[in-house]
Amino acid sequence: MIKVRIPTPLRPLTKNQGEVDVAAGSITDLVNTLEASYPGIKARLCDDNGELRRFVNIYVNEEDIRFLKGKDTALKTGDEVSIVPAIAGG
Amino acid sequence: MADLVIPQHILDDIIDHAKQLAPYECCGLLAGTDGIVSRLYRIKNIVAMEGAQNLSSFDSAKSAHLERLSPTERAEIAFVMDMQDFSTAKKDMRNNGLDLQVVYHSHPHDPARPSVTDIKIATDYEEIWPKINLPLPAYLLVSLMNPEPDVKTYWIKSGRVTPADVLIR
Repeated sequence: MIKVRIPTPLRPLTKNQGEVDVAAGSITDLVNTLEASYPGIKARLCDDNGELRRFVNIYVNEEDIRFLKGKDTALKTGDEVSIVPAIAGG
Repeated sequence: MADLVIPQHILDDIIDHAKQLAPYECCGLLAGTDGIVSRLYRIKNIVAMEGAQNLSSFDSAKSAHLERLSPTERAEIAFVMDMQDFSTAKKDMRNNGLDLQVVYHSHPHDPARPSVTDIKIATDYEEIWPKINLPLPAYLLVSLMNPEPDVKTYWIKSGRVTPADVLIR
């Protein structure tokens, strides 16, 4: 299983869970698996072409997937994935 | 000993950035070691990008408020960092042995103090920094509401705002 950290702005979609466990072999797989359990989450993470939105980062074990293989980044049991929303303010 | 030391040329660069983007908000990062700032990273404010108002870190009240404005009006009262720029900056910091010290942004029309949204998002972010291997930064605000720019720096911890002690040299 992969441990996925869910940031506060997305917790309304995950029944307020800050961490969920997902079985997935890649980031694409993980996003689709999350979407099946928590509908609406995929649109918050990816654009219509499935690319990661610029308002969000996904880290696998503290490395940004943009510097790995993007949505094709492979995952293995024990990996920790953090979804990080944009730093923002008013 | 001050909490932070910021070179005058970096402070001037922040104010230039704010003035160049006015009436829109600018944002960026300062990095260095042991509280001594040595590098500035300008980050794009992408709040005007389609969907940014409800896909980023804002709570539902702020999102609803931004939703009523045009994309350019949104950029006058909010910022969203381009996380691609952020990651590039983070990688550069790591490659150069630097740590994040400060997150800055401008208030073109308002005082140099954190808004309710700033405090809320900074508080949400407290649990994120350690997970992405970065220390808790200070928050610097530059106000352009008066002819003379005003710059102030704060710590935001557990929803509480306290002034940071900054030495400019």
